[in-house]
Amino acid sequence: MINLIKNFITGSISLLKGLLVTLKNIFAPTTTIQYPTQKLKMTERYRGLVDLRRDKCISCLQCVKICPTACLALTSKLTEEKKKALESFTYNMELCCFCGLCQQVCPTSAIYMNKIYEVTTYDRKKLYINLLDPEKYVAWTSAVPK
Amino acid sequence: MEDSLSAQSMKKDIYTEEFLINMGPQHPSTHGVLSLECRLDGEIVMDCTPHLGYLHRSMEKIAENRTYTQFIPFTDRLDYVASINNNLGYCMTVEKLLKMEVPERAQYIRVIMAELNRIASHLIGIGAFAQDLGAFATPLFYGFRDREKILEIFDEICGNRLTYNYIRIGGVQSDFPEGLDKKINEFIKYMKLKIDDYDQLLTNNAILLARSKNIGCLSKEVAINYSITGPNLRASGIRRDIRKDAPYLVYDRFEFDVPLGANGDAWDRYKVRVEEIRQSLRIVEQAIHALPPGNPTSKANRIHKPQAGEVYVRTENPRGELGFYIVSDGSATPYRLKIRGPSFSNLAVLPELVKGLKIADIICILGSLDIVLGEIDR
Ligand code: SF4
Ligand code: SF4
Repeated sequence: MINLIKNFITGSISLLKGLLVTLKNIFAPTTTIQYPTQKLKMTERYRGLVDLRRDKCISCLQCVKICPTACLALTSKLTEEKKKALESFTYNMELCCFCGLCQQVCPTSAIYMNKIYEVTTYDRKKLYINLLDPEKYVAWTSAVPK
Repeated sequence: MEDSLSAQSMKKDIYTEEFLINMGPQHPSTHGVLSLECRLDGEIVMDCTPHLGYLHRSMEKIAENRTYTQFIPFTDRLDYVASINNNLGYCMTVEKLLKMEVPERAQYIRVIMAELNRIASHLIGIGAFAQDLGAFATPLFYGFRDREKILEIFDEICGNRLTYNYIRIGGVQSDFPEGLDKKINEFIKYMKLKIDDYDQLLTNNAILLARSKNIGCLSKEVAINYSITGPNLRASGIRRDIRKDAPYLVYDRFEFDVPLGANGDAWDRYKVRVEEIRQSLRIVEQAIHALPPGNPTSKANRIHKPQAGEVYVRTENPRGELGFYIVSDGSATPYRLKIRGPSFSNLAVLPELVKGLKIADIICILGSLDIVLGEIDR
């Protein structure tokens, strides 16, 4: 019986001590944001979806070679001035692990990762992206706060 | 003789039977997809067998088909709570194989990142442990809140929040952006205050003590026999920390203590983690003040072709000793890569610890062992 009372008292005291911490936190500034209405700005180095600056690409295949999941594929042809021109450049987002190796190895910073992070879709086909299409990401919600 | 007779006559009155239940693979307290097959006598656990393999992704085989640089993102997915530490272990192994020097600034940055990630991992560890004991949501979300500060720092440095892929062979991905040291210093100040909050909320809480003191005592002999490492081993009172015993990077230049437990019970394992957060903060503080100038980055597009040979490197992960063993045949891909994940042996000891205890204690002990299934199944 005495033990029970003792346990009850020590339990209550430590409960109150714990509640003191939670009380302190009730009056602390909030750390969360109301997500769909409020959005955070992504950091400068944020690794979102893979994107391409078409005019800068020299078809050197570095990005294709480094990609650990083989989700990039490109074909090119020689132009009359003996330069390589892109014919197709596809990106399979389904496989991409957002490692950022492709953007690190690109000698001309043609391939880069943008700030889009809301990347869910009901249609699997939408995950196969043609990087040469200038409007490819228009349908994805832009994560940049307005 | 008489005893067994009376036991037999009892059996006639009340028919009892041992029964088997499966805990998991979809169970909130098994920290991932782990299945525990428990043989129970009422509420008492007679035996418990962990079943693994639900998260097996064949990492070691994948490594044989990837170049040395390409495998770095895969190491992120081993112990996904402490990705930087996995990156680090792997890259250090390849560097040893290549006999490569790493710039001093990169070494300091690696220490800072590894220790910050250790703090983040321990915050999840103690938060999940408290959650498993029934302190629903509050401690876990306090842990997440404080971990978020670290993730913000990581996000600024490398652009990702969980699978960082930051360490490169021979350096790191990118230098610290401007003004980051200030942010880290602020975090250290913030975290030092918050740690006291955890102490007040959890460490000496009577309910937590009642639930975890003298539960799942791991003796020194058993710990060594099962090759337990990391905080779980130190909680049993064995001073073993690779950062001290065989210092790698620049750990020998910093002052820090190795926190030890006394009994090796669940509470000691919890307490060691809390103390380790304090020590990690000390290391980060010293490292950020001594950060030398220079260029820490290394190019990712080089194809590394090491000489034929084999190396084994171990590093101190938040969960214990992480080892990478690579055999090279001189080509651009490893001939064989073996990962020694600390959580695997830490889980192996679970059946020893839970025998004879109540079923609720399984959850307490499993929480205190702080395993990550991604690393066990690989
Ligand atoms: S981020 Fe990584 S996985 Fe994705 S395309 Fe680039 S290299 Fe490939
Ligand atoms: S690495 Fe850059 S320049 Fe080379 S093919 Fe890829 S995107 Fe084009």
